[in-house]
Amino acid sequence: MNGALKRVWLVTRREWNQRARTRAFRISTLISIGIVVVLIMAPEIYGGGDGNRRTIGLVGASSAQLPEVLEASSDQLGLSVKTRRFADEPAGQVALRSGDVSVLLVDQQRLVWKADPDEQLQGIVISAVGALERQRAIEDLGLTSEEAQRLLRAPELRSTSLERATEEQTARADLGRIGVVLLFVAIAFYCGFVLVGVVEEKSSRVVEVLLSRVRPTELFAGKILGIGLVGLAQFALVVVSALVALSFAHNTLAPDTTPSTLGWIVFWFVLGYAFYAVLYAAAGSLVSRQEETQSLQLPMTGVLFVAYILAFVATESPDGAAALLGSFIPPTAPMVMIVRIAHGAVPWWQIGLSVGLMVATVYGIVQVAGRIYAGGVLRFGGRVRLKEAWRGAES
Amino acid sequence: MKRFGDVVALDGATFSVAPGRIVGFLGPNGAGKTTTMRAIFGLVRLDRGEVRWRGKRVGPKERARFGYMPEERGLYPKMKVGEQLTYFAELSGMSEESATEAAAGWLERLHLGDRADARLEELSHGNQQRMQLAAAIVHDPELAVLDEPFSGLDPLGVESLAELLKQIAAMGVAVVFSSHQLDLVEDVCEDVVIIDHGRIVMSGVVEELKAASPHRSLEVTVNGEPWVPILPSGTVTNKQGARLRVLVDATADVEEILATARQAGEVTSFTFEPPSLTDLFLDAISEGQAA
Repeated sequence: MNGALKRVWLVTRREWNQRARTRAFRISTLISIGIVVVLIMAPEIYGGGDGNRRTIGLVGASSAQLPEVLEASSDQLGLSVKTRRFADEPAGQVALRSGDVSVLLVDQQRLVWKADPDEQLQGIVISAVGALERQRAIEDLGLTSEEAQRLLRAPELRSTSLERATEEQTARADLGRIGVVLLFVAIAFYCGFVLVGVVEEKSSRVVEVLLSRVRPTELFAGKILGIGLVGLAQFALVVVSALVALSFAHNTLAPDTTPSTLGWIVFWFVLGYAFYAVLYAAAGSLVSRQEETQSLQLPMTGVLFVAYILAFVATESPDGAAALLGSFIPPTAPMVMIVRIAHGAVPWWQIGLSVGLMVATVYGIVQVAGRIYAGGVLRFGGRVRLKEAWRGAES
Repeated sequence: MKRFGDVVALDGATFSVAPGRIVGFLGPNGAGKTTTMRAIFGLVRLDRGEVRWRGKRVGPKERARFGYMPEERGLYPKMKVGEQLTYFAELSGMSEESATEAAAGWLERLHLGDRADARLEELSHGNQQRMQLAAAIVHDPELAVLDEPFSGLDPLGVESLAELLKQIAAMGVAVVFSSHQLDLVEDVCEDVVIIDHGRIVMSGVVEELKAASPHRSLEVTVNGEPWVPILPSGTVTNKQGARLRVLVDATADVEEILATARQAGEVTSFTFEPPSLTDLFLDAISEGQAA
C-alpha cells in the first residue's frame, strides 16, 4: 500500500472504529431493524388475527351444518372463520366484549355486535344462513335434485378490470415510496454525520495536527469513505433484516419484486451518499463552528428535498417525462430511479446511463469539492467564502 | 516569502536548526512565528522561497519525520488517548505495531500509562497539554515544531514542560518552539531566533549572543538615598523601590559603579551580567526598526 492510500485507509478506519464500535451505533441499528421488522410483520402479528381470522359465537338453536357452511363461504373471501358455541346469550356477550368472538348469532336469527357491525362478516353470515334456509325450503317443497340445483346455482358473473393488476401496481408504488423515504432519511442522516465530522475537526483544531501528517484530499476521502462504510453497513443490515422478515411474513402487501428492489435501494444509497457527502464535506470546511452549519447546509438539504418531492411526484406517474428526466439527473437520480425500478422493468441501458452520469458527476464534484475543502479547512475565524477557499488551494 | 493580501507576513525568514538543540523562536505577537511554522508543514503556501531539511526541499516524505504542535490546541476529545496517539503515529508512517508501542511509551513517559483507555476530555487540563505534545512527537520525529507550547501554563507546568523538551532534545530531536514570553523561556532555549515583522532580526546560540552584546545588565539594590549611577549610556530600564536595573556598556567599570553605590547607602545586592533575552530582543528589534 503506498503512503497516500495507507493514510486514506487509516482515516477511514478511524471513522469506522469511532462510530461503528460505539454502543450508540449498536442501539440505533437495533432500533432501525426493529422498526422495519415490526412494520413488515405487523399484518402477521396484529392484522393477521384481526384481518383474516374471525370467530362467530353461536347461541341457541342453529343448524348443525351452519359451521361448515360458514367456513366454506368465508374461505372464498379470504377469511378464516371459526365458530364457538355458548350456553346462553350472556356467556356469549362476555366473550364478545373481551374480543374472543367477533359476533354472536342468536337462534340463527339475530346478530349481536360489540360495536359497529363488520359488513364483510355480516355478509358471510347472511349468505350462509340464507343458503341453509333455501336448503330447508327445497326439502320442504320436495323438489328434485335437478330443480334444487337450478334454484341454488350461483349466477355466473364475469369480472374485468379497465386497468390491469392495479393491486400489484399500488403495492409497487408503495414499495417505491418506502424506498424513497429510506434513501432520503439515510442520505440526509449520514451526510449530516459528514458535515458535523468535518466541522468538529475544524472547530477542535485537530485538523492542524492531522494536516501536518496527511494531505487535505486524503483526510477528505477517508472521512467520506469511513462514514459511508458505517452508513452502508447499517443501511444494508436494516435492508437484509427487512428481507428476512418478508420471507417469514408472507406479507400480501409486498410485491414479488421486493427483494431486487431492496437491492437496488442499497445500490443507489451508495451513489446518492457519495454525491451528497462530497458536497456536505466541502461545505463543512467553510465554517469553524457547529452553530454555523445550519444556514450552510440549506442549499444541499434543499436539493435533497427537491429530489424527494420529485420522487413522490414520480410515484404518481412513473412513466411520465418528469420521472424519466429525474432518473438521469444526478441530484435526483437515486430516488427517482428507485421509484421507476419499483414500478416496473426499467431498460438496462437507462439504468446504465443513469449510473454512468452519476459516477461521472461524483468524480467531477470530488475534484471541485476536494479543492474547496483543501482551501477552506485551514482557514479559521469567520465563514470562508467559496472563492477564497477555491483560490486558497491554488498550487 | 508569504503575503496575505497587502500584508507581507514573511520576508526573508531564513534560519537553521540542528539536531539535539532547543531553539527558541521568539518575536512579538504578529511577527510571523505561526506563519513560519505552518509553512514548514505546508499548511500555508509560500509565495516565494522554500523550506529545506538536510539540504533537501521539504515535501511530504520529509514532513513525515517532523512533528507539529499547533498554537491552537486540538485533539479528538472523545477518542481514547492511547488510540489517539497510535493513530497519529500511524498517520506519520509508523507500522501499527511500532505505533502502538510508541504510544504506550509516551504515555508511560508522561505518567499517563494507566490512562490509555481514558477519553482525552477526561484528562486534566495539564495532562491534555502533555497529550498535545505527545501527539506531535509520538512518531519519533527528527524535528519537533511547537507553537507557543508554554502559553497558558503555570510556573510548575512551564518547568515540567521545559524538562520534557530537554529530554526530547537529548534524544537527538531538533526542537523549535515559539514564544512571545521571553522571560518564561530564558532558561529553556539554547539557540534563539528572533523574528519581527516577518524578518529574522537575530539568531544564534543564546550564550554567544549574550556574550557578544555590547551591553551588560546591572542590577543594584541600595538602601539609602535615591541613587542613580552616572553613566553615559545608562538608561533606566526598571526601577522597583530601592532596586535598580540598568543596561550599561559592556566596558563599564564595575568597581567604580559599586563604589558610587556604596557611597549612597548600604548595597544589599549587586549583579553585573550579560543582558537577558528580553534585553537582547528589545535591542534586536530597535536596531531592526532603526535600520
